[in-house]
Amino acid sequence: MSVQPAMPKSWRVDTKPHKFCPGCGHGLVLKALGQAIDELGIQDRAVFGCDIGCSLLAWDFFNVDTIQTHHGRTTPVITGLKRANPNLVGIAYMGDGGGYAIGSQHLVNAASRNERITVILVNNTQYGMTGGQMAPTTLPGQKTETTPYGRDPEKTGYPTQGPEMVAAITREGAYVARGTVANLRQLKNYLKKALENQMAGNGFSFVEVLSTCPTNWRTNAEETWKMVEQELPRYFKVGEIKVPGGQKEGEANG
Amino acid sequence: MTQSFKARTIETKKSYWTIFPGLCKGCGLCMQKCPKKCLSWSDVLGVYGTPTVEPSDECIGCGICQIFCPDCAINVSKKKEEKKAG
Repeated sequence: MSVQPAMPKSWRVDTKPHKFCPGCGHGLVLKALGQAIDELGIQDRAVFGCDIGCSLLAWDFFNVDTIQTHHGRTTPVITGLKRANPNLVGIAYMGDGGGYAIGSQHLVNAASRNERITVILVNNTQYGMTGGQMAPTTLPGQKTETTPYGRDPEKTGYPTQGPEMVAAITREGAYVARGTVANLRQLKNYLKKALENQMAGNGFSFVEVLSTCPTNWRTNAEETWKMVEQELPRYFKVGEIKVPGGQKEGEANG
Repeated sequence: MTQSFKARTIETKKSYWTIFPGLCKGCGLCMQKCPKKCLSWSDVLGVYGTPTVEPSDECIGCGICQIFCPDCAINVSKKKEEKKAG
């Protein structure tokens, strides 16, 4: 056989090319997650739960047991799975609309109960699947379908700081970080640490990922990278926010 | 049975650069990330009928395009350094 694509082993090859738009950040996040699953060797006991929104297009993405539920309800479903069978590794995968707007109560309650699950939230600053409406994470001044003159913080408030909120309400043992698709090696490390934190039984693991949406941002590749690398980090600080016991990345060397 | 993808390998000075037109959606993210800016649109069409990319001879085989391809449509392998005579 000739050269074949360098896909993570946990990817389901016969469903590729996947269903996401050209340039979508979901592909990059799921690539990093696939590599993390490969490196930890948990393909046989991981359960992948996807949400409503663009994230549901990942329902046949992995050769991993997958369940698809309602907006933000992925968190309680994975919580139930984890309680029924603690040997499983539960991954709840959702977008910012499902996690912060419609299903935020589940995220808040699961975090404050310190459930031993991993939540991955992909933040592309608007509702991608319904055509790009304003979400809680839309940047001030950003044009969307429902804010044609740009989001006005006086009228509609400031973007939600999800990981900061989760870090504030979780107990000791939680892992909270924010990664970006512009730095995939760092993102893979965060996802790996989040899964390891769950497997060690420490507590709630939460990773927000800054992602792209060229279709609804109406950007070309150059502007897409500019948005992810320069505009988004102005409001969303990338890095580890809460680490159980140990030191945060980059602090060890003073 | 897992499906296999048709490869198009381009040999440059320092690398074997492979693209799978059956996976490439023509988003162009790789072109922006290339440190040498040596990728350009080619006449070979991808899965959505959009142009795929191809490298020029300036490719150094760093593999950044492979890392940042959301569809895993690129595979880069660096050529082994030729031993200097004597």
